[in-house]
Amino acid sequence: MSTATEVQRGALTHPDVQSLDEVNRDVLRSLGRPGKGWWALLALALAGMGVGGYSWGIQVIKGIGVTGLTSPVGWGVYITTFVFWVGIAHSGTLISAILFLFRAPWRQSIYRAAEAMTVFAVMTAGLFPLIHVGRVWHAYWLIPYPNSRFLWPNFRSPLVWDVFAVTTYFTVSAVFFYLGTIPDLAAARDAASGFRKKLYQVISLGWRGTDREWHHFGKAYIFLAALATPLVLSVHSVVSWDFAVAIVPGWHTTIFAPYFVAGAIFSGVAMVITLTVPLRKVFGLEAYLTTKHYDAMAKLCLMTSMIVFYAYLSEFFMAWYSGEEVERAAFWARLFGQYWWATWIMLTCNGIVPVMLWFKRVRYSIPALFAISIFVNIGMWFERYVIIVTSLHHEYEPFAWGVYRPSTVEMGILLGSFAWFGFWFLLFTRLIPPIAIAELKEVLPTTNRPRAIAGAGGQGGDQ
Amino acid sequence: MTDGLKRRDFLKVVGASGAGAGVLGCSTERVERLLPYVVPPEEITPGVATWYTTVCGECEAGCGMWVRTREGRVVKVEGNPTHPVSQGSLCSRGHSSLQALYNPDRFTGPMLRQGGELQSISWEDAEQMMAERLGAAGDYYLFTGSPGASMSGLMSDFAGSTGGQVVRYDPLAEAPLREASRITFGRDVVPWYDLEEADFLVSFGADFLESWLSPVRDGRGFARMSGVGEGGAKGRFAFVGSRLSLTGQNADEWLPIQPGSEALVALAMANVLSGGGGSAGPYRDIVAAYTPENVASVTGVEAESIRELAERFGEGPSLALGPGVAGLHRGATAANVAVAILNWVSGNVGTTVHYDAPQLEAPSSGFGPMEQAITAMSGGQVGAALVHGSNLVYALPASSGFREAFSSVDFKVSFASAMDETAAVADLILPDRHFLEAWGDATSRPGQWAVRQPAMRPVPHFDSKQTGDVLLSVATQMGQDLGSATFYDYLRTRWADLATTAGAADADAFWHESLRTGVAQVGVTPSGSAESLRQPDRGLVFDPPAFDGAGDLHLMVYPSSRYGDGALNANRPWLQELPDPVSKITWHSWVEIHPDRAEAMGIRNGDVVVLSTEHGSVEAPVWTYPGIREDVIALAMGSGHTDAGRFADGNGVNALDLLPSEAEALSGGLVHFVTKVDVQATGERRALASIAGSDSQSNRPITPAVALAGLGAEIGAEEDEHGPLQELQGGGGFVPVETEGLATDFPLPGSQYGEYGEEDTPRWAMAIDLDKCTGCSACVTACQAENNVPWVGESQVTMGRDMGWIRLERYYETVDASHAGPVDVRFLPMICQHCGNAPCEPVCPVFATYHTPDGINTQVYNRCVGTRYCANNCPYKVRVYNWYTYTGEEPVYEGLGHIPEPLNWQLNPDVTVRENGIMEKCSFCIHRIREHQDRAAVEGSTITDGQIIPACQQSCPAEAIVFGNIRDSGSAVALASHDERAYRVLDELVNTQPAVSYLKKVTFHEVDSGEH
Repeated sequence: MSTATEVQRGALTHPDVQSLDEVNRDVLRSLGRPGKGWWALLALALAGMGVGGYSWGIQVIKGIGVTGLTSPVGWGVYITTFVFWVGIAHSGTLISAILFLFRAPWRQSIYRAAEAMTVFAVMTAGLFPLIHVGRVWHAYWLIPYPNSRFLWPNFRSPLVWDVFAVTTYFTVSAVFFYLGTIPDLAAARDAASGFRKKLYQVISLGWRGTDREWHHFGKAYIFLAALATPLVLSVHSVVSWDFAVAIVPGWHTTIFAPYFVAGAIFSGVAMVITLTVPLRKVFGLEAYLTTKHYDAMAKLCLMTSMIVFYAYLSEFFMAWYSGEEVERAAFWARLFGQYWWATWIMLTCNGIVPVMLWFKRVRYSIPALFAISIFVNIGMWFERYVIIVTSLHHEYEPFAWGVYRPSTVEMGILLGSFAWFGFWFLLFTRLIPPIAIAELKEVLPTTNRPRAIAGAGGQGGDQ
Repeated sequence: MTDGLKRRDFLKVVGASGAGAGVLGCSTERVERLLPYVVPPEEITPGVATWYTTVCGECEAGCGMWVRTREGRVVKVEGNPTHPVSQGSLCSRGHSSLQALYNPDRFTGPMLRQGGELQSISWEDAEQMMAERLGAAGDYYLFTGSPGASMSGLMSDFAGSTGGQVVRYDPLAEAPLREASRITFGRDVVPWYDLEEADFLVSFGADFLESWLSPVRDGRGFARMSGVGEGGAKGRFAFVGSRLSLTGQNADEWLPIQPGSEALVALAMANVLSGGGGSAGPYRDIVAAYTPENVASVTGVEAESIRELAERFGEGPSLALGPGVAGLHRGATAANVAVAILNWVSGNVGTTVHYDAPQLEAPSSGFGPMEQAITAMSGGQVGAALVHGSNLVYALPASSGFREAFSSVDFKVSFASAMDETAAVADLILPDRHFLEAWGDATSRPGQWAVRQPAMRPVPHFDSKQTGDVLLSVATQMGQDLGSATFYDYLRTRWADLATTAGAADADAFWHESLRTGVAQVGVTPSGSAESLRQPDRGLVFDPPAFDGAGDLHLMVYPSSRYGDGALNANRPWLQELPDPVSKITWHSWVEIHPDRAEAMGIRNGDVVVLSTEHGSVEAPVWTYPGIREDVIALAMGSGHTDAGRFADGNGVNALDLLPSEAEALSGGLVHFVTKVDVQATGERRALASIAGSDSQSNRPITPAVALAGLGAEIGAEEDEHGPLQELQGGGGFVPVETEGLATDFPLPGSQYGEYGEEDTPRWAMAIDLDKCTGCSACVTACQAENNVPWVGESQVTMGRDMGWIRLERYYETVDASHAGPVDVRFLPMICQHCGNAPCEPVCPVFATYHTPDGINTQVYNRCVGTRYCANNCPYKVRVYNWYTYTGEEPVYEGLGHIPEPLNWQLNPDVTVRENGIMEKCSFCIHRIREHQDRAAVEGSTITDGQIIPACQQSCPAEAIVFGNIRDSGSAVALASHDERAYRVLDELVNTQPAVSYLKKVTFHEVDSGEH
């Protein structure tokens, strides 16, 4: 798979990795017996999930009225959070699939964590449509299923497109993620004992590392990568059409699809940074997740930040340039109305703070990047909040303008969603090698590379 | 047959009333349980409504009603089209009478207070006790409100034969108006006003669209007068007063006068019209003294404005309406006299004002006799006090001392059907029937009679007995014979006399005919005698009266347009949650202050302030209102109950707490506009439970208007109106769909899927004339009653979750309280527009909203999952959502909407009751359409234009709404939608192709065309 150039680049990216043997040891070490810190975090996650579950329970039993939603703001924190998590998901696929196809040398160390993040983020996002609807017990009506009354969902509705987009995305990214882990799971199996060994035996599907297996693996991986690639663009485009298809001033613009995709990658990469910084620290993976990786991710952040900021500006410009009273009023209200603070948080976090990434010293400073990534995460959540809430609260009918204030139940569920995501990610760090061992080895220069892996890579390279 | 009585409805009423009335009449047995119909009653067909006629008992106007019953339960009341007062319409209060009928707080039976607690007692014991105690009491008082003609008669008979004295007291009675009529024309009457006949109307603070005299009839008359008609004829309306009420908001111009100076404006106008007083008869000298120049500084209105107003007033048939209750100050009678003089000098007496055929059945006693009664009671000269049909402890100012005086009486009887502040201190409670379960009658003016008949068996939850029957029974036990055993017999006897007067050969036939039609004309016609002004027999002072207290803020306490005085009708969620037509606030009280004044005082909207006078103080949030003078503070009556039931108690404040108990010197009416007030901010704030977002249209084509002078030129101007948009499209811009589509062009190409659009399929459409709409909000309550729209509670309204299917929008265009000039407030009943190109439909993922082949945008409640996408995408924001289940017997949380037994008896069986998580909106009363279509299909008949009437149109006093098939080119709605004033809200912006057309308001002043 990898060429000589890639190996050279790989060596440059990971100067501190001495031997391939070390890779297995270092990475698999994270799968050992968890420490107190991990259990504490797990307990925290479970508690958060408890809060979220309790809040949802209240909402189902008492009614959707326990939220702060009201007329005219029918969508609020739930849809904001839905879009946030779908957006987060995107960078995982970008890193694992697109960068794979483009042979970017820095993806190997981070793609596993990014991909796990994708799967868990989609799992989190997928909950929100259920949480959001008024009658969750009838939510399955959005799925086309055979029934005696020949009732179908309305294929013109973007919400139905959402159902397809999110389920497709979850299916593909989960399969892609799982497929990529198989050789590493086998490596973990070889290193594990007891119950864990049995578990890995089952989920590694009896991987032995033969040429034939590597051959099929390589083919399947590249096909799935090709399959997943369009989803990076399409899923968030579909999500953006939830808004762009509507006639709400502030939503109804053609810029939304590219703008949302860029925003998704922006927020996703920021989230990868947020997640991997503690990961590398805790598990001592500094040699694998190097400043070069972070530099690359920071550049990606910087570029997408500029796209997103450009989109903001062009929205404001178009609102003014259109001469359309309602559109102008909506954007004026966005900047200076009831929710000005949300808009300015969004502009600051997503447009102004990332300007620091122009400086190499910032890009190479892990603490600085971590801080910026947190800003971006917050900013991107607020971006969706601004788009949804400020647009809805100030629409066509002045007499029907209104204000929305999130309730504690919504905040509880928002917290619960982070806990739910964290819960899965914590399990991930203990169950699945957080760095792709096999792939990393492909790009590392060494004299005693096992023949099997080199063979698979060699074949790929020769063809 | 486009309006009036339909043949089918006629037959229904004939069949039902004649046979049903006698059977259902005066049963007092309690229904223990429901049994299936083993032998079905002949007149009840399950699933088919039966209608009865009756008379509304909510106020003295006496609107004729049609009562719709289903399976023996009353589910809706509507105006009786044949009745001369209601003419088919009804106000919100009339509709809400259903919630009094089924009110869960009604007494379950007669009660006796023992040891401070109310205990149940049997009717026999109660009546026996009453007979004994009255017999022993010697002198006693029987207080009543407006019980109807025969009941008044019975009360007089009863009191006369048992040593009592009847005091009829109506807090909103027009005592100064009657006294002024007596002074000027020698007739102690409330004159009959013919608004429809006038071309120019001046109201000196009379809120005739809300609480004054007969709001439904006057609302209709006003709309007919002021709505632009054939050839651009349009009556004009000027409002003279210190605060714009809803009535004032409908005016074309406003003279914001100094508090209490109506008389001067009226006299100055009379001065101009009578050539310096020459034709003012005995008032010549008075009129001569008040020239416009002389009164300018006192009234705060420039002489030129008064002169101009007077000149227009003199041009044609005109009408001046005297100060109403809100303006009842110490000079109220003089002001009424001044208005009468004005009507006289401009020749209106006999044309638009009739003293020879007055209105309102019987005079109320005014506050004078009440003062005597209070003195007598507190002096211990009274052995018993009986209160019927009124809630005097609440309705009289605390300073009157009524509560203390009443409490000191040994034996106090209340006939209240539900707990109120007066019943709360009574010893014996003998719950009366609701008027929909009882017999009675009413006269709306001399000669015009109507029977009140029971439309259902008494609600079985409550062991009530008609007070007439109680009085007769008690009289018998006291050894008096009043000639009848039951009130029904008494009524029949009186009606037999009426039949004789009417010259009817057969009294029974006359009775049945009256039951059937709901109205009886009994001979008396206007005498036609010429009136002449008389020499005043009392001293009149026309100058503005003194106001008590210090400072410059005058306190105006006005009757609520929802409740009137609110003494008996506040415990109704429909009324509580009906947005006040002026402030759009629900549930709680608010203090109106001019925004500039508020700013000067450092007060903002929602700041809680303490109002205090020397008589008391109240605390309420501020609502800033540009339609009030800077030196006036206004507060509505009707709130602040303590013992009126679960829906009323604790909401708002009782404005009467601020007032002295003082009768106007000449008429004996209780004064309301008499004191100044001190306003202090408490530093607290509260969110107003208001439905209003912005009061400004923000340059959007929502309610454009057209100047009267510009009518007819509209067609030419049409081209320019689309200016910028068409320019953009013409320049190669994006042209989505034909934007000039008419409502008839349905379905639109590309908007259809399924089997649609046969040529002869109707497209249902509506047109609303905004030149007629007065914003009275009757449609809002009618819709709520018809469509099982839940009420949601104060906290929910505050959040913005009100569920009315009709949002009566109110935008200020021109409201200037600083000097006389045009006033322009726009009303727009916003309902689902049933768009041909509906934005809500494509976004629903489950087809819960879709188009019927006949063009209705329907909502399938059972299919709705509750994504709320449709509501987001609705540019009109007419979709309302069930955030909770507001229809359960218990509230989900304290204070949330719910429908406790037996309020749920009112629910319309034709309409689904919705639960939590479902979107809903106006359905064009689709169940009514289908009912007519089904019947037409069964009978093989066709549906004629005007046969299908949605609840809002049915109720509209202004006749502003028409509904029908727009594909029928001759239909009223098709004609209206092709009117030059017709437009569709936001259509050019969002290309929704609505089925609802609005007709622009017509103004006398120049307006911006409303387009931009």
